[in-house]
Amino acid sequence: MGLGFMIGVFGVLILSHAAYSTIQYRGLLKIMEEEFSGPPMNVVLELLLGFFFCIWAALTVPGNFLSIHPESEENRLDYLKLMLFFIHTSLAERRHTLEKDSVGY
Amino acid sequence: MAGHSDSSSSEKKSGEAMTDVPTFSAENLQNNMKVIYYSRTFMSITGGVIAGIFGFTGFVGFIFYFLVMTITSIGLIAKAKFSVHSYFDSWNRIILDGLMGGLMSFVLFWTFAYDIVHIF
Repeated sequence: MGLGFMIGVFGVLILSHAAYSTIQYRGLLKIMEEEFSGPPMNVVLELLLGFFFCIWAALTVPGNFLSIHPESEENRLDYLKLMLFFIHTSLAERRHTLEKDSVGY
Repeated sequence: MAGHSDSSSSEKKSGEAMTDVPTFSAENLQNNMKVIYYSRTFMSITGGVIAGIFGFTGFVGFIFYFLVMTITSIGLIAKAKFSVHSYFDSWNRIILDGLMGGLMSFVLFWTFAYDIVHIF
């Protein structure tokens, strides 16, 4: 997570630099009395790089996905505890039913 | 003999009932939804800033947002190792969840970045 966070910070810094470069470029266009049609190619590459760094951070920093199936390896202990509880309850119910039947006879 | 077959049929019925009802860990599902929410929110903000820097206006900006969200969805599916049903109960969770909420964040940062870069 530490490395992902640093990559995210680096991505944000790259985007900030791209924004600053675009502001400077617009200032230059104003002096030359030209219209803004889009940022220069180096800024576009910077934006792409910042985007990829940010998407890497977005996918790694928030944490990992956890399996929702109770029988999966990481949930195995909880699954076994649950199964033990069901078996215990089922046996207790059967014993209760048998005792009731024997009392009835 | 009849009692034995009755008990085995009732065991089968209860077994069938158990397999018919899908069970999953709600806590883990909630954790996974939280991960998707954080990822989408951050990418919406990043996409908004990039759209503002590029100078997108109107419809083009929204097209860009859906492009960013599509790339994010592909990334999330890859993170789930392409077996979505191990981590979520439906494909809609990973494809559609958080889309409209992210749109608000995108528009906010799109407007903010556009103003800073192109107006002020």
